[in-house]
Amino acid sequence: MAKREKMLATKSGRKNLAYCMIAVLVAIIFLFPIYWILAMSFKSDAESFGKIVTYYPHEFTIDPWVKNLSDREFLTSLKNSVLIAVMSMTLSMVFGVPAAYGMGRYRVPGQKAFMLTFLVTQMLPASLMLTPMYLIFNKLHLLGTYQGPALAIASGTVPFIVVTLRPYFKSVPTSLDDAARIDGCGVFRSFFKIMIPAIKTGIITVVVISFLNGWNDLAYSMTFNVTPEMRPLTANIYKFKSKYGTKWNCIMAYGAILVLPVILLFVFLQKYIVGGLTAGAVKE
Amino acid sequence: MKLSMAAKKRREGYSFILPGFVYMMIVLGYPLIYNVILAFRDVNIKTFKAGTDVFVGLNNFITLLHDETFLLVFKNTFVFTIGCLVFQFTIGFIFAMFFSKKFTLAGPIRGMVLVGYMMPMSVTAMLGKNIFDVSSGLINDLLMKIGVISAPVEWLLNGNTAMASVIAVNCWVGIPFNMLLLTSGLTGISQDVYESAEVDGANSFQRFFYITLPLMKSAIASVLMLGFIYTFKAFDLQFVMTSGGPLNATDVLGTYSYTLSFTQYEFSMGSATAMILFCCLFIIGLFYLRMISKEDD
Repeated sequence: MAKREKMLATKSGRKNLAYCMIAVLVAIIFLFPIYWILAMSFKSDAESFGKIVTYYPHEFTIDPWVKNLSDREFLTSLKNSVLIAVMSMTLSMVFGVPAAYGMGRYRVPGQKAFMLTFLVTQMLPASLMLTPMYLIFNKLHLLGTYQGPALAIASGTVPFIVVTLRPYFKSVPTSLDDAARIDGCGVFRSFFKIMIPAIKTGIITVVVISFLNGWNDLAYSMTFNVTPEMRPLTANIYKFKSKYGTKWNCIMAYGAILVLPVILLFVFLQKYIVGGLTAGAVKE
Repeated sequence: MKLSMAAKKRREGYSFILPGFVYMMIVLGYPLIYNVILAFRDVNIKTFKAGTDVFVGLNNFITLLHDETFLLVFKNTFVFTIGCLVFQFTIGFIFAMFFSKKFTLAGPIRGMVLVGYMMPMSVTAMLGKNIFDVSSGLINDLLMKIGVISAPVEWLLNGNTAMASVIAVNCWVGIPFNMLLLTSGLTGISQDVYESAEVDGANSFQRFFYITLPLMKSAIASVLMLGFIYTFKAFDLQFVMTSGGPLNATDVLGTYSYTLSFTQYEFSMGSATAMILFCCLFIIGLFYLRMISKEDD
């Protein structure tokens, strides 16, 4: 068996190289837009505005970045982005993780209905909820706050967490809770001290994706928070355009700053993110 | 004693599940019901403030069905969704077949291309606006350099090309996602099946149609349905890249509902549009849920 595998490996040495080259080509095509954002963000005004399209910054400058990062309005939007993302992530975790645990390890009457609710609500789009939520939040004085968007975004993330983490909790051997019981751990203590550490991979996945759900949100934040002072970066990219006309270098530097955390998280935690994306969609 | 033990267990279970469930009922369930109520009333900025809105039955829906813009938007949503699905799925499938082969870079690159999927859609849409720009856009420059076109194309200023551009940008995000979901289906097929088929003299064409496709049937169906749900509800892309223009040519149900509610302040009309969006999603969603719950048992 081992011999045969070795033979196959040597036979496919050249094939391996060819495949790798095609794969690199695919990667270049799909990562090119990210390169484009960065390349544009280091161009001078004249170059980015000019009629001649340049494929890399001929006059390299960090001006567009400086312009954004020294702009008070930009910094306010950045703060709003972070606050909304962190708040919606926290809300989602607080409500989602225990529910995932309950769904994975207990059998209670009505469980099928609960699961159906989480599966259905996971698919409901923001564009469907905007009008009713806006009117309700208007009555509750939640418009123009951070809580409004955070609550709404979490309503999409909580079911995602339940669907994603349930199989993780299911897979923890029951001997582990029995051991905890014998040691005199209460249910809630064993949940925090034993269960959550036992599924660390799953927890990292949902933390990252919950954060990104909030960070990437446009629809809720833009609709509930009308004033630019309360809007996150995603929503102000729009206003920004009219402010700077078609200064693409500034717009792309703005976009680059918005994409940067995503890329960093992706580089360091790729396997968690990819795992989480498939877990929610394909069956356990 | 045994019964009380079971009752205790049940109470524990509920204490974990209910907070999350109740959260969903309040933050999502209630607005969803309120949306249905809104769709059958005449709530707009005036009646909402004065509290004088009344029940109007199906009037909002009848108005929509006689509204040419709505009919165009409805059609656009399907054109966009089906256009995206065709390309995303076919190209995604080809890539999935490729990346399910065993070679050194298969794993890392398969994951890497997903970064577009995690980016904020508003940035992707801004980028789309930039590369499809008439004078300073990358697409026109490239096509002219290769010699495919002789003069710049006004991609986003013409209805059909604007729709094509929006679909193209969405595919950049959708192809890697389809690929990822299909790869996990493909790697699930046992290699033995292919080997014995090869021994029996099946060529690669036959292997694909008689082994891969039948074994992937449920994975394909779920990827297509999920793709439909994700694409049909599009909002950010059109909103930022084209604002639904030119002349509603790229407007979809999501963005049109927003326009009705928050540009024209006709909340009930926006809700009615959202209801129609919901019904379309619901029909596909039912099939999807049915399928995954079958697999669950």
